[in-house]
Amino acid sequence: MRRWAYFGIAIALVAAAPWLIATPYWRGILVLCAMNVLLALGLNLVIGYTGQLNLGQSAFFAIGAYATTILVKTYHWNFWLAAGAAVIGAGVLGLALAAFAVRLRGHYLAIASLGFAVITYQVLVNWESVTEGVRGIYGILPPVPSTVGLYYLIAGIALIVYWLMDNLVRSPVGDTLRAIREDEVSAASLGVKSALWKAFAFSVGAGVAALAGVFYPGFVGTLVPDAFNIIESFTMMAMVIVGGMGTMIGPVIGAVVLTFLPELLRGFGELRLMVYGLALTLVVLFMPGGIVQLAKRK
Amino acid sequence: MSDLAALIAQQSINGVYLGCLYVMVALGLTLIYGVLNQINFAHADFVTVGAFTAFFAATRLGTKMLGLPDAAGYLLSLFFALGIGALLGLAINAAVFAPLRERGDELRPLIATIGVSVLLENAQLALFGPIPYQFDSPFARETIRFGRIFFTGQSVLVVVVSALAIGALYAFMRFSFWGKALRAVAQDRETAGLMGINPGLLIGLTIVIASALAGMAGALLGPVIVLTPFAGASVVVKAFAIVIIGGFGNVQGTIIAGILVGIIEAFTVQYLGSGLIDLVVFVLLLAMLVVRPTGLIAERKEENV
Repeated sequence: MRRWAYFGIAIALVAAAPWLIATPYWRGILVLCAMNVLLALGLNLVIGYTGQLNLGQSAFFAIGAYATTILVKTYHWNFWLAAGAAVIGAGVLGLALAAFAVRLRGHYLAIASLGFAVITYQVLVNWESVTEGVRGIYGILPPVPSTVGLYYLIAGIALIVYWLMDNLVRSPVGDTLRAIREDEVSAASLGVKSALWKAFAFSVGAGVAALAGVFYPGFVGTLVPDAFNIIESFTMMAMVIVGGMGTMIGPVIGAVVLTFLPELLRGFGELRLMVYGLALTLVVLFMPGGIVQLAKRK
Repeated sequence: MSDLAALIAQQSINGVYLGCLYVMVALGLTLIYGVLNQINFAHADFVTVGAFTAFFAATRLGTKMLGLPDAAGYLLSLFFALGIGALLGLAINAAVFAPLRERGDELRPLIATIGVSVLLENAQLALFGPIPYQFDSPFARETIRFGRIFFTGQSVLVVVVSALAIGALYAFMRFSFWGKALRAVAQDRETAGLMGINPGLLIGLTIVIASALAGMAGALLGPVIVLTPFAGASVVVKAFAIVIIGGFGNVQGTIIAGILVGIIEAFTVQYLGSGLIDLVVFVLLLAMLVVRPTGLIAERKEENV
């Protein structure tokens, strides 16, 4: 019952947010925030629940954005059809990365997935006939015209994804993923097909990141490869860690805090991005469970 | 000499020169991994800080304040970069690696160093701005010609300095007491501790050496790359690839892989264009992970189950 109550409060908060901060600029930040929540949720399943250090999420974010935009602009697909294809495509590519991931662990996986992100970025830069390279794609329209509409759309999707993922991690599948995170060898000895479940987590994580990517170009209006630099993977990781990885609500809190905090510090100019770095280091050193841990301790 | 032979010789020389620069960066990563099983993501920014330190030491301090000739000013700046690298190593060991070492977690120190990296990168952005600096090495002006093969004084300097650095490191690891103790810590930290070796001190020393190498690599790279606060990142991403291709923690493998990647890069520029370098290197890395995940030179390592 309490779960339903919390969920009701969350829906009310999400619905009220654009009327609590009603300037166009802050409404734009809300859209960004909803996107970041999706990204953090996707990464959390891989890194938080399955314990796989994936630094390649920016690639899936990019694939969602580019696939949707190219299918709509060049091939005149319907937006939703294109979005579905992009998400499924990213999920399949997630399986392809998992082919490496299931054999690798820890640092090897971190570097291999980083390599995947670098390759994807380089393909976006170099495959000019399709992606327009560094010149970028311009004049991209969002699926719904108003900022508030776009916010409700993405935040609604984020709520659904949260709900589904919350059920997933409570199910026996969640136990399986956590078992792999804690001790892969022991899990395997108990009959857990760890390769299969790691591939599953990678694929779902990739699909969710792509789902966030689907809405990014319409919101910004332009699409350039630099938006999907590997630093994006790091900022997603910062959200998950600062909020508290391996919990459902933690990454959401992390995404909200790390979206709004730099905006509040905008007066400091360049220094605001240092906040990400500093927050990440300090949280790891002094608050390994993230903000969520702080709330639990009282 | 035929055209093709001259071209191949020329690109091989360019490749070895590039490779030496990569080895200087990658060695630090592999050293830290060897004793600590950790990756320092801020290594890239140590390279960049080294490059900026060298730039200011050479142009402001060396030639303007001390009135040294250009060449001496640049050589002096190499040592300044080495020193600042060592200081950064001390700092990151004290702030991140030492406190997190005992918790025995491979994820957290990595993430903490990512944080340090983002912090350093943006601190430099605030200090130096995004516009590239023109770092002229006096050695880059000299061109040496052998028949139809050309190379600059800078490339000779890079090869000589990295050979000296690698040689000094080898001699230190092989023959000195501290080097032996270090290798003992790398093999088995607890047993080494029982023999009266202080592992914490030696791990700190390794991180300082590794970071000093990164700083000096930055001074050598400064005149070669586009010097911005993000300069180190592009090099270190390649250094990660080199460390994996060579086998994590394997010094010999890293040196071979570094030179190899340098040569591959030189020929990629010649035949495919400079835009595709990262693509080629990382496809090679992924292929390597599929075929031979232990690296070029396999080292047997028992794993705790």
